[in-house]
Amino acid sequence: MSQALAKPAVPVGGQNNLPGLLLLAVLAIAFPLLPYALHVSDYVLNIFMNSVTYAMAVLGMVVVLGYAGQINLAQAAFFGIGAYAVGLGTVSWGLHFWVSFALGMGAAAIAGLVLGFTTLRLGGHYLAMITISFQQIFDLVMVNWIDVTRGPDGIPGIEPPALFGLHLTDKRAYLLFCAAVLYLLIWFVWWLPSTRLGRAMRAVRDNELAAGTIGVHTLRTKVIAFAISAVLGGIGGSLYAAGFSYISPDNFSFLRSIEFLTAVLLGGAQSPFGAALGTVLIVLLPEWLRFLKSLYLAVYGLGVILIMVFMPEGIWGLMRNTFQRVRKPRAPVIGAVPALNFDIKTQDDRPVLKLENLQKHFGGLRAVDGIDVAVAPGTVHALIGPNGSGKTTSLNVVNGIYRPTAGKILLDGIDVTQLKPHDRAGLGMGRTFQNIRLFQTMTALENVMVGGQRDNNPMEAGGEALVTRALSALHFVGILERAHMIVRNLPYGHQRLVEIARALAAHPKLLLLDEPGAGLNQTEKHELVGLLKRLRGHGLTVFLIDHDMGLVEKVSDKITVLNFGKKIAEGTPQEVLRHPDVIAAYLGEGPTHAAARA
Amino acid sequence: MRRLALGCIAASIAALVLSVSARAADVIKIGLVNETTGPNAEAGVYTVNGARLAVEEINKAGGILGKQVELLLEDNQSTNPGTVLAYTKLVGEGVPAVIGPIRSTQTQAISPSVAKAGIPTMFGGTDPSLTHTGNPWLFRCRPNDSFSSLVIADFGVNTLKLKKWAIVHSTDAFGTGGMNALVQALKAYDITPVLVQGYTNNSQDFTPIVLAIKKSGADIIGSYMTNSPDVGIFAKQLRQLGLSTVWVGSPSVITETARNLAGSALYGVYAIADFTPGSSPQAKAYADKYKAKYNLEADVYSSWAYDAVHILAIAMNQAKSTNPEAIRKAILATCGYKGVEGTYCFDENGDGLRGYNIVHNDGGKIGFIKHIDNPKK
Amino acid sequence: MDVLANNLQVLFQGLALGSIYALVSLGFVLIIRATNVVNFAQGDFAMLGGYAMILFTVGMPGNPELHIPGFAVHVPYWLAIALAAVVMALIGVAFNYGVYYPLRNRSFLPVLISTLGASIFLQNTVLALFNPQPRPLDKLFNVEGVTIGGVFLDSQYLVILGFTILAVAFQYFFFEHTLIGKKLQATSQDKDMARLLGIPVTLMIIITFVYSAVLGGLAGMLVAPILFVSIGMGSTIALKAFAATIIGGFGDVRGAIVGGLIIGVVESLAAYHIPNGVPYKDAYAFLALFLVLLFRPQGIFGEKVSEKA
Repeated sequence: MSQALAKPAVPVGGQNNLPGLLLLAVLAIAFPLLPYALHVSDYVLNIFMNSVTYAMAVLGMVVVLGYAGQINLAQAAFFGIGAYAVGLGTVSWGLHFWVSFALGMGAAAIAGLVLGFTTLRLGGHYLAMITISFQQIFDLVMVNWIDVTRGPDGIPGIEPPALFGLHLTDKRAYLLFCAAVLYLLIWFVWWLPSTRLGRAMRAVRDNELAAGTIGVHTLRTKVIAFAISAVLGGIGGSLYAAGFSYISPDNFSFLRSIEFLTAVLLGGAQSPFGAALGTVLIVLLPEWLRFLKSLYLAVYGLGVILIMVFMPEGIWGLMRNTFQRVRKPRAPVIGAVPALNFDIKTQDDRPVLKLENLQKHFGGLRAVDGIDVAVAPGTVHALIGPNGSGKTTSLNVVNGIYRPTAGKILLDGIDVTQLKPHDRAGLGMGRTFQNIRLFQTMTALENVMVGGQRDNNPMEAGGEALVTRALSALHFVGILERAHMIVRNLPYGHQRLVEIARALAAHPKLLLLDEPGAGLNQTEKHELVGLLKRLRGHGLTVFLIDHDMGLVEKVSDKITVLNFGKKIAEGTPQEVLRHPDVIAAYLGEGPTHAAARA
Repeated sequence: MRRLALGCIAASIAALVLSVSARAADVIKIGLVNETTGPNAEAGVYTVNGARLAVEEINKAGGILGKQVELLLEDNQSTNPGTVLAYTKLVGEGVPAVIGPIRSTQTQAISPSVAKAGIPTMFGGTDPSLTHTGNPWLFRCRPNDSFSSLVIADFGVNTLKLKKWAIVHSTDAFGTGGMNALVQALKAYDITPVLVQGYTNNSQDFTPIVLAIKKSGADIIGSYMTNSPDVGIFAKQLRQLGLSTVWVGSPSVITETARNLAGSALYGVYAIADFTPGSSPQAKAYADKYKAKYNLEADVYSSWAYDAVHILAIAMNQAKSTNPEAIRKAILATCGYKGVEGTYCFDENGDGLRGYNIVHNDGGKIGFIKHIDNPKK
Repeated sequence: MDVLANNLQVLFQGLALGSIYALVSLGFVLIIRATNVVNFAQGDFAMLGGYAMILFTVGMPGNPELHIPGFAVHVPYWLAIALAAVVMALIGVAFNYGVYYPLRNRSFLPVLISTLGASIFLQNTVLALFNPQPRPLDKLFNVEGVTIGGVFLDSQYLVILGFTILAVAFQYFFFEHTLIGKKLQATSQDKDMARLLGIPVTLMIIITFVYSAVLGGLAGMLVAPILFVSIGMGSTIALKAFAATIIGGFGDVRGAIVGGLIIGVVESLAAYHIPNGVPYKDAYAFLALFLVLLFRPQGIFGEKVSEKA
């Protein structure tokens, strides 16, 4: 298996341009050493310290907002949790710094998990408001729960920690230490997108419904992103507390959360480097503008609007785009790819999918009204019917997007009626969509890898095996050379193939295809028929719906016809297409005309 | 565009680093950390006015050590982190002394930077503990709250003869600290307040508090409230709901803004005040000068800064130097200086004042009742 | 001590404050429906309305530091309201072009940040123009209020309640029974379709911003005699109003009204009844929000949206 396999050319989060990275590295190392080289005032040190610790919280925003696509307006509260853990831990409870630090990380993680689990089912503006509420309540508790938090007086006298017996009381040394932590965190956040978890997050961000359908546990992924973000905020807060030695509730207000959000959008939400840059700017901008005296904050507000208008992808996005225009990206080298292994167990004739008296009602409308279908192993089974007959609804119920009103769904003998889409995917149910649902900003390879990383996928563990599997799937559908392209930039026909490859990478026991022919031209349709025949040749069970009779007739072993939510006919293509009820349902006319049409 | 962004950042870092080198000049610069923006900006205006007036007078009288004085302002956005940045920026400019903030938490926030900078820093925060942290560079130009609560309690119990106290306070550092001190002070008279009611700053409705006071049957209200709009809303609702309870408040109930906002609702209210125009000839003269220059009524936010600048000038002239240590010694030696807030005599902790005036709101004007110095527990 | 009267008193205050939240929330809802964007500067419209009233009733002192001259006109109260409304309308137009229009094709986040930037800009510009002292404003009627059965009804609060009812009635009439209202509705439901039908979408969105700026401004003018005119007066109100918008069901007009009243009443009653509960007053509103969303994630009037595959 291991001969001359392709490796992922680039870790996905990173950019493959050495000089830029070198320049960055030099700047990054020079930055915290500056106070040693030059005599700088406490003012400059404080600005550095602010930038470095805030940047950690903003990195959290990259994870939750940039990667997972969830808004968080309570980052200052998590920052505050870390700061208070260190403040209260070292000053009030006499704990060791690092113990308090760990406590802070733990508390932030727990807060993030709890808040996430209770609220991440909501999205968009609702989540915005919930996180604002959490932020406000945190503030009020910090101010008013005086016995524990010391209230508005705050906590003075927080000492910087010792490291390997070295006391970091010199502010410059402490800054150096914080910068090292920051770089470590930047590396972590940069590395994250190329991991299983990171890919899952980005999949959820790009298309939550599709992510769930192909096996990503969406809620868990969002909650983990939220918790990681909270922990990063907590680390920043802990180091901030020791850096300034005094904390009080007003350091962790709603306005600070806004500042973190602005910083991440300013720098570029998708990139940890952008986040660091955005933070530096958000700290520096009001300081630069001080010469404007009483108008400086007004100008700052105006600046925020202008940046939003003129730098849609943030500063980092702008820099990267300019850079990429100058340099042509190198085409990644792809070696030999093994053939796609379907791993289908030869089994008895037990149906792979069985629907028993399946019903789905929307209010008074009976979209699916008690159908029974059995999909035999190794067959291509089509579900057809006129518009509004309940095809797509049936598919959505089968796959778990809708809960059925009544009835049972058995996948390979297992009752999956109550399972969530991602759990069904974990049992080997794959699917594509009529209106293609890919993860638009990810490469074709990454899209397919997300498909391959479902639970219980019968394959070798490890990233290399996953890449190989994904490449094989792309090779099987015939677009291997497109592996490293962002799918948004692919032609429509190729996008459909990527979607099929994404499902194939998961070793599906059953593949659901939702109008695979929609939007394809004749040549592409022809190729699709070939692909479907090859799939059947490998013994894969396919359940598909489509409008195109020609296509259905060519590929199906068996057809079920729906009308008004009820099954009106079932059989081989020849039987079904001559069935008088079917002809009537489609044409509303007598059988003679239909015969002429056939 | 990218180059522009990078250039900007590089330039700013360079500017920051360069701004450090203090220039020797023939003027003496005094720093002022001020609340120019943010929620407390209303007070910030007064502080700048007071300090500027003092600088003007000093310059007219020949300056300090023969040099003219210049005020360097830095905004702190009314926040603690903002105060740290503003303060350290001023230190970086090489000023020999700074007029710090009037808020206790802001003073707390800069305390480590003050100790590190090692330059005399005058402040107005009234939390008693601020001068007891072993930081030799902090000097308070206002009486602290251990005195204010004693004066309120003494006046209410001994002069007004009222025993059923309700305490209303904001839950910020100032309000909570004041409330605690007042509860302690009343203990000396064997009085436990019938009601202690806190609220978060910028409350829009005080009806629950007013009803609680009504229910408690209190005959006197002692208050430590921070923001003028809160004072205004509370006063109006108190009167609207038919309560005419006697009220003795911290200085915030007689600031010009509060009186403007509340109008007749604050008539008859007693307050303690470190600055009162009628309390001394100096205060009277200052109030007149202030009114003439700014067409505003002077209040405590301006008077303490005015005094602070003058005390610094005197100390530098005494020390014949702008060396921080020399100034520090000269400030500590200051005793008997008649400022507009009272007569200063610095103790070894850096507390300059120990007295309060008792005043009342007489149909919109401030009426001076008496001055209490060194109140006893 | 009459327990009932006290509770009624608290309830009345809650309803009155709730109406303010509802008015500001109505402005939120309009913009959400037209543009699917939350305008975080909505509270600042209230602040600007308050300052516009100050400008026309007592004038402004000017700022010598920036060479801004003072301005003194003293027009009758009613005329001042009309003039202030005109000012708000102009601000609405400027807001559309300065803050929303350049970002109209982007997702909600950049627009949200842009409105936050606008909020910082507006507050600090007003701070530089006027000085930061909070100002009192006369009531609409020169009567303190009336006492009925031991409950004091502030005349201004009665005005606010009355105006809220009027605003709701007007909005209903305007949207359901006028052509322009129907065009606005069409725009909010499907911009592309509206465009195909020949509805000038850009103009419709301008009208939405104007309407919502005027509404926010009026809320500020009405509340100013009670809460005074200050730079930050809109911020707290706006957060509660946003919570009201969410509780009511994002983008639902009835929800804005009901959500606003719920928040006003809950925080007043909770602050009154929970021992030592006054300092946590703001928290009750947000806890109410948590609870509502826990049991009805789409808000009270919101429709359950499930994505179609």
